[in-house]
Amino acid sequence: MSWWQIFRKRPMKSAMVKHYEEHFTKPISKKLPISELTFVVVDTETTGLDPKKDHILAFGGIKITNNRILVQSSREQFVHSKKKSASSIKIHEIVQPRNAVSPREFVRGFLPYLGSDILVAHHAGFDLAMIEKIGRPFGLRKLHNPVVDTGDLAMRLEHGIHYDPSRINLRDYSLDKLCERYKIPIHDRHIAAGDAFLTAQLLIKLLKEAEKKGVVTYGDLMRW
Amino acid sequence: MSNVIVNRVKEFLHRFPPFSFLSDELLTDVAREVELMYYTKGEYIFKKGNPASPHFFVLKEGSVYLTEEDAGKMVVKDYCDEGEVFGVLALLGRRPYVLNGYVAEDSLLYAVPVDVFDKVLKENSEVSLYFAAGFAAGQVVVRTDLSQSQKARKLLKDATSDHGLSLFMEKGNLNFPTEVLSCDHGTSIGKAAQLMQEKDVGSIVIVDSDGFPTGIITDKDMRNRVVAAGIPFEVKVEEVMTSPVRTVHHQSDFPTIYLTMIKNHLHHLILTEDGTDGSKITGIVSDHDVFLSHGNSPAVLIHGLMNTWDVQEMKGIRDRAETLLGYFLENEVAIDFVASILSEINDVIIKRAVLLAKEKVDKDYPEECKVPFCFLSLGSEGRQEQLLRTDLDNALVFGDVENDKLPRTKAYFEALSQEVIQTLIACGFHPCPSEVMANNPEWCQPLSVWKDYFSHWVNLPDEVSLMKATIFFDFRAVYGTTSLAEEMTHHIYQVIEERKTFLGFLAKNALLNPPPLGFFKNFIVEKSGEHKDQFDIKLRAMMPLADAARLLILSHKVLGINNTFDRFEKLATLEPQNAALYEEAASAYEIFLRLRALEGIASGTSGRYITPRSLGKLQRQLLKNAFAPIHQLQEVLTVRFQTDYIPK
Repeated sequence: MSWWQIFRKRPMKSAMVKHYEEHFTKPISKKLPISELTFVVVDTETTGLDPKKDHILAFGGIKITNNRILVQSSREQFVHSKKKSASSIKIHEIVQPRNAVSPREFVRGFLPYLGSDILVAHHAGFDLAMIEKIGRPFGLRKLHNPVVDTGDLAMRLEHGIHYDPSRINLRDYSLDKLCERYKIPIHDRHIAAGDAFLTAQLLIKLLKEAEKKGVVTYGDLMRW
Repeated sequence: MSNVIVNRVKEFLHRFPPFSFLSDELLTDVAREVELMYYTKGEYIFKKGNPASPHFFVLKEGSVYLTEEDAGKMVVKDYCDEGEVFGVLALLGRRPYVLNGYVAEDSLLYAVPVDVFDKVLKENSEVSLYFAAGFAAGQVVVRTDLSQSQKARKLLKDATSDHGLSLFMEKGNLNFPTEVLSCDHGTSIGKAAQLMQEKDVGSIVIVDSDGFPTGIITDKDMRNRVVAAGIPFEVKVEEVMTSPVRTVHHQSDFPTIYLTMIKNHLHHLILTEDGTDGSKITGIVSDHDVFLSHGNSPAVLIHGLMNTWDVQEMKGIRDRAETLLGYFLENEVAIDFVASILSEINDVIIKRAVLLAKEKVDKDYPEECKVPFCFLSLGSEGRQEQLLRTDLDNALVFGDVENDKLPRTKAYFEALSQEVIQTLIACGFHPCPSEVMANNPEWCQPLSVWKDYFSHWVNLPDEVSLMKATIFFDFRAVYGTTSLAEEMTHHIYQVIEERKTFLGFLAKNALLNPPPLGFFKNFIVEKSGEHKDQFDIKLRAMMPLADAARLLILSHKVLGINNTFDRFEKLATLEPQNAALYEEAASAYEIFLRLRALEGIASGTSGRYITPRSLGKLQRQLLKNAFAPIHQLQEVLTVRFQTDYIPK
C-alpha cells in the first residue's frame, strides 16, 4: 500500500461484507477429511486481463461437497459493464449480457453464496483479484476463504510437493491442457459457468489423485 | 442455477434410455438434481448388503462391474458402460444392494436422487415400463413384470425410421358407407339390381322385418348366381343371397375388421350395433374400401394370390408380403397379428401349390387321388411363427388304404408332394437342409405309419427321437382332411398318457440350451465359424422358450394350441400361480421374434444370427432382460419333471 493511500478515504464496510466476515471466526479443522469439505468452484469472464483496468462481466460457480458436484448449487450471473473490449468479446462472446445485475447486486448475492467454503478456481489469483475489486466499493478488502488453485494442485500432484515452478512449462497447466490430460470433454469453454463446471470436474479428479498420494485431510490439502 | 451446466447434464442424459423418453421439462427437473461423483479403478461404489443410497447411478464415463463374491472370487454379473443405469433395483425395492458396484475403470457417475425420479416414474409411462421390463436381468429384487413389456416392443423400434404407413391406425382412416342399401325379403332380384344400380353400389343387404341383416347379394352374385345361372329376375332375393351374413361390432378396431375379412376371404363385411346379425346395421365395409385405404395391405396380397395360378406372380406377391412385414414391424403392429397375417399368406400359397399339383398329377392317378390326405406345416410354420421365409418344414398324411393299394397310393402322394415343394421353392421358400419335407418319402405316409412314428419316438426317447418330436409335435393342418391331423394329435396324447416318463426326457431336451445369462459385456456369441461373434437368437433364445411351451402344453393335454405365445397364454390360465412367469415368457418370445424378423429384413437373411454390436443400447437391454424368464422356466421344468434323475 502506498503512503498516500493512508489519507484516502476507505469505503465504509457494508452490512453484507460484515456479515460475510462473520463466517471466519473459527478456522476449519486441519484434521477434517477432504470428503467432508465443501468447495465452491468459481470462474469469471472479464473485460480484459488487467485487474486494474478491467472488471467482471460474468460469474459462474458450482459447489462440491462430499466429493460430489451438485448441479443444483450451480450459479451463473452477468454483471453490467460500461466498458466494452473488442479483444475480450472475441473470447467469451458476451456482448449484451442478459439479466445483468449491478455490481452491488452481484456482491450482495455472491458473498452469501461463497460463505466460508473453500474457494476453488483455475489460476485463482486472477479471479480473486477481480472479485475483490468488484467488492471494494462496498468495503470488501479481501476474500477470507481458503483458496485452492486447480493449476497449482495439478502441478503439485504431478511433480511432488516441492516442485520448482521455474522448471515447469506453465502452458501444460492451462485449463484446456488439464482437461485434455484428465479426460474431461471440453464444452462451454469461456462461459463462466461452463469453465466453473470443467474446473469442478478437474478438481474431483485431482482430489482423487491426491488421496492416493496420502492427501486426505484439509491440513494435507492446504500444506503448500 | 446455471443453465449452461444443467443443459450440459441434460444433453448427456438425453442420449440414453430411460432419460430419452422424458419431456424436456421433466429432464430439466432431473438434470438440476443430479450430482457428479468420481471413482477410480478398484473402488466400490456400493457393496452387496449396503443399505440403498438415496440415488441411483448413470455412468458418464468409465466402466463399472456389478459383481458378486463367490468363494472369495469376484464373479461379474453385469457390465455397465457409458450411459448405463445401475443401482436402481435397491432403490425401487428400498432394500440393500444385491450386488457390488465395482469400478473397473476410472469412472465419472451421475447420481440421480430417487425422489425426483419417483415423480418421473409416475408421470411417464414409458419410463416406468422401461424399469418394469426388468432392469437388470437375473436380479429378482423387483419382480420384473414382462407382461408390461408387451408394450416394450415399441422400444425396439428405431425412432428414426417412421415410414408413417398408416396401416394400423384408428378407424378414422377407413372410409366406408354408413348408409347401407337394403331390401326386405320378398323383393325380386330384378328390383334389387335396379336399387343397386340407382345407388351405384356393389352390394345389397337383405333385412328381416326388424331391419336385422339376414343375407347379402353382391355384384358378383348377380353375375354368377343369377345371370350366368339363368335364373329369372322375378325370383326372390332370399333364394340367391349369401346367408347368414358375417357381422362385426360397429366399434371394432381396424385390425379386427381387417383380420375377419382376410381370414374369411370376405369381400363385404357388415357392421352392426352389437356385432351380431340380430341388431341394426350401421355400415358396410368392402374390400375395395380397405384397398383404397391401404395400397399394400395383406387383403390386397391375399386377393392377388387367390386370383393367380402363375408361380412367378405368387413369388412376387410373397416378396411384397415381406416388404409389408417390414412396415408392420416398424409400425409396431402387434406381433401375433403380424404372424397370423403372414401365416395366412403362407397358407394360401401352400393351398394354391397343392391345388396346382393336383391338377398336374391327379390325371395319372384317377383312383388314388380320391384318398383323403392332409398337408401339414411343421416347426415354426406349424406354430404360425414364421415371419420370414425360412426353411420349409412340412409333411403329408393320408388315409389308410388296403395293403395292395398302398404302393401306388404312396407313389401318388409322393409325386403330389414333389410338385408342391417345387412350387414353394419357386415362391422363394428355402428347402429344409435336413429334408423334413413332404416330398421326402419318410414324411409322406399313411396315418397308421405316422402313429407308429409317434409311438416309437415316445417309447424310445433317444436323442434322435426327441429331436424329431420337437419338430413333428408342432404340426398344423394347412390343406385337406383335417380330421387326419386331429387323429394324429389324439394318438400322441394317448401314447404319452401311457408313458409319462417321456415328458421327463422332453424336459431334459428342453434344457439343452441354457439361456445366455451372466454374459460379460455382450451376449454369448459364436466362437468360430461363419457366424463368429454373432448371437444365435434361434438356438439360444427362441428354441428354449418354444420347447418349454410345447412340453408344458403337452403335459396339460391341451389340444389345438400350436403357437408359442398362445401356449404361454393358455398356460397362464391353467397355472395361475405361474401366470406372471408365463406371460413374461410370451412377451420375451415376442421380443425375440420381432428382433429376429427385423434383423432378417435388414440383412436379407433368416435373421437367426444377430450381431450384438449392431443393436442399440436399449435393444441390447431389452434382449438381455428377455432372457430372465427362460432361466426361470427352465428351473420350473427341472423341478416339475425331475430332470436331474433322468440318465443322459
